[in-house]
Amino acid sequence: MATRKKVLLKVIILGDSGVGKTSLMNQYVNKKFSNQYKATIGADFLTKEVIVDDRIVTLQIWDTAGQERFQSLGVAFYRGADCCVLVFDVTAPNTFKSLDSWRDEFLIQASPREPTDFPFVLLGNKVDLEPRAISTKRAQQWCLSKNNIPYFETSAKEALNVEQAFQSIARNALTQQSQSVDLYNEFPDQIKLTNTTNRNSNGDSCAC
Amino acid sequence: MEDNQEEVLEIFTQDGVLITTAPATYIHYLNNVGTLLIVEYPNSNLTRCIEWKPLDLTIDSDVQDQEWTVVSTVERRRTYSGSLPVDVNRSKHLKINMNDIKSFRVSHKNQKLTFRDGKGDNVCSFIFQHGNCDGLIAVLKGILKTIVSRRDKHVYCILDDIKNPERQQLDKSFAELNLFQEQSSAYVWKFVKNFPNRPYEATMEAFSKITDIVYRGPEHRLMDSEVHNILHRSLEAIENNTTTHSHDEYELIAHVPRLPALKEYPRGRPLSFEQWKALQDSEGQVEDVEAVKLVIFRGGISSNVRKEVWKYLLDYYRWKCSHAEQQNLIKQRNEEYFIMKLQWRSMTKIQEDNFTDYRERKSLIEKDVNRTDRTLDYFAGDNNPNLQVLYDILMTYAMYNFDLGYVQGMSDLLSPILYLMNNEVEAFWCFVGFMNKVSSNFDMDQAGMKEQLQHLHTLTAFYDPEFANYLYKHDSANMFFCFRWLLVWFKRELSQQDVMRLWEVLWTDLPCQNFHLLICVAILDTEKNILMENNYGFTEILKHINDLSGNIDISTVISKAEGMYNQIVDAEHLTDAVRLIIGLPILGNTSIVDSKEASPDISDLTTNGDTDEVSYENALTHSFL
Ligand SMILES: Nc1nc2c(ncn2[C@@H]2O[C@H](COP(=O)(O)OP(=O)(O)OP(=O)(O)O)[C@@H](O)[C@H]2O)c(=O)[nH]1
Ligand SMILES: [Mg+2]
Repeated sequence: MATRKKVLLKVIILGDSGVGKTSLMNQYVNKKFSNQYKATIGADFLTKEVIVDDRIVTLQIWDTAGQERFQSLGVAFYRGADCCVLVFDVTAPNTFKSLDSWRDEFLIQASPREPTDFPFVLLGNKVDLEPRAISTKRAQQWCLSKNNIPYFETSAKEALNVEQAFQSIARNALTQQSQSVDLYNEFPDQIKLTNTTNRNSNGDSCAC
Repeated sequence: MEDNQEEVLEIFTQDGVLITTAPATYIHYLNNVGTLLIVEYPNSNLTRCIEWKPLDLTIDSDVQDQEWTVVSTVERRRTYSGSLPVDVNRSKHLKINMNDIKSFRVSHKNQKLTFRDGKGDNVCSFIFQHGNCDGLIAVLKGILKTIVSRRDKHVYCILDDIKNPERQQLDKSFAELNLFQEQSSAYVWKFVKNFPNRPYEATMEAFSKITDIVYRGPEHRLMDSEVHNILHRSLEAIENNTTTHSHDEYELIAHVPRLPALKEYPRGRPLSFEQWKALQDSEGQVEDVEAVKLVIFRGGISSNVRKEVWKYLLDYYRWKCSHAEQQNLIKQRNEEYFIMKLQWRSMTKIQEDNFTDYRERKSLIEKDVNRTDRTLDYFAGDNNPNLQVLYDILMTYAMYNFDLGYVQGMSDLLSPILYLMNNEVEAFWCFVGFMNKVSSNFDMDQAGMKEQLQHLHTLTAFYDPEFANYLYKHDSANMFFCFRWLLVWFKRELSQQDVMRLWEVLWTDLPCQNFHLLICVAILDTEKNILMENNYGFTEILKHINDLSGNIDISTVISKAEGMYNQIVDAEHLTDAVRLIIGLPILGNTSIVDSKEASPDISDLTTNGDTDEVSYENALTHSFL
């Protein structure tokens, strides 16, 4: 196979505070779990090279703060995402209830071209803990109602299913990106584009 | 009190207007029908806005909280001019400042009107379902100076605001010059000749003059056909050149006022036990508070008196109290604390089940206590009793200030205080004192953080317009990469010892208010070469800044920030916007809300008339797209 362009895939992890977003990201990238991680303030990301279907891709995984009032900042980082990972804590029912609003907020703010086809992956984290509040079935039903989102039950602490989940995340992100590249030039007329994408295309712009 | 009300003058209204393009924050309005208004805020330096409100005003109440631009405008007004109540409904309208609009285009048999910004991007467009937009165009022509673009006769370019004082000044001086009445063609030729060499200056100079002529009614235009031709040729030159040149070409010739040189301000020695005792009288009162603060500002506090002095700095103890009075106060505060603590401790299971807000706070606190400085010996290990104290104080604080409750970041602010005090009640009251200084960081709508990010941008733009321009071009003028620094005052970037040193310096409020913003500017100034040489964009800048954690030499930074403070204060072109941030009296010759005032430099550099605030708000808007 001829040399292919290197691919950078942007992944956003969203979910309520304390569901384990930072722990999952660190478990996946650094293969470590620590209960000394701090609550996330602002945003940060880690990168990791992975192989998806014979291709080397770089995952850029973004982790933002989960508390509601910091959401308005978080949305600044949604732009250009190729996949969105939603996380809840299987022992905390509220974190499951919030999933709809996380998903909606992401779709509104990132405004992907095909909202119904945009790849989400759902992770039910902390399966090592008892008692369970959200059953596998309930989570799967939610996924089904949202256009069949892939679902994984993970434990960042025990490194359970984390690798598999992120493989799926990478694959979904890659599919999303290769599709959206073809569409790159036809953005909808209604939404004001970013300055970077159309700065040079002002053929019909004002002449003053 | 009535005249405190924000005045709103509606210059124009039209019903039955469909909105078809809008900035991303307003996309939920798209394809809705509503009322279009042009309004003027006389209290805000005659700021004019295009507003649009949907027919039905029952709007989801949390929409507004997500809009940084809207909220920050409101916030600014609140902070600067006292307490102007803002019409709640009005703040939810789509609202676009007229200053951001540089042209508009009429199409579809005058039924569609599109407003554009300085880059030629569509900002918003409207379809007039009842009749057409002729009425509105007439109004716009009345309040704005417009000319029809030579490229597209449906496009009106906005030249400048007639009421803008600067503009009036220009008009006047050019009128006095009697341009175009004698030797007019010679003048225009000079402009055309100058254009290739000094495009920016020549354009700015001449464009104002030419438009001056164009704007006078035809009866006043003493133009012979020759002048007429030249005028059109030169307009063409302007159009061709200004639209095709990139920003970079203008930077070279833009005039940037210079700051005085950066001087060294070596750090002093920390306030010692002996000094501290010498500054107290026999009754324990501190006479010369400013002297104490000055020593602390210069060198911090020695560890053997830090615990006591912090209580003063954080308003737990009073500077001017005798020992006896102090003891009384302590007793009171002690009782008060345990009353509040009992309130949540005595909550029954049923009460808790019926109290969602309380439960949410409790669970957030539980989660964060377990994630606070666990690497420090003081909080390390399972079942560490200090974690319980941390938890109790935060819970009690949530009862003390239920409106604010618990917000992430607070446990970071408490940790060094508890570590130092090693006493629950004292740590609580000192924490209250700290929170009183920074509570706006934790506003529900994040207005305080937005304002600080904007102030930081204003300072950066004033101190180093070139760097501010770099950030602007790299999608980072929103300064989001400094969010963590500001929220918890560098707690995540520094060691426990260093953060204690920095905080006590900042608590003195010397040499000025908001000195923590200058700390940011100082660190950024040290990093900017790396950022710019590597041509870092939004993502890389954020990463680089996050990775500075643990690598900041705080003494060097404080002394540099002090040097920068002095450079800024001594600058001849010091603006009111900067004065306001650092707490100097404003000169008042230009209004605060006048965005030009914020930084003339960045507007020179970006050339499309974007001023500091506008570019900041653009940056905010862009980051949501
Ligand atoms: N038992 C168990 N605990 C976990 C697991 N994942 C995370 N935790 C713990 O849950 C708490 C929160 O984890 P974080 O990864 O910091 O959560 P977050 O989602 O990043 O939270 P924010 O940064 O506040 O949005 C920490 O105390 C972790 O140690 C898990 O799989 N099992
Ligand atoms: Mg986190």
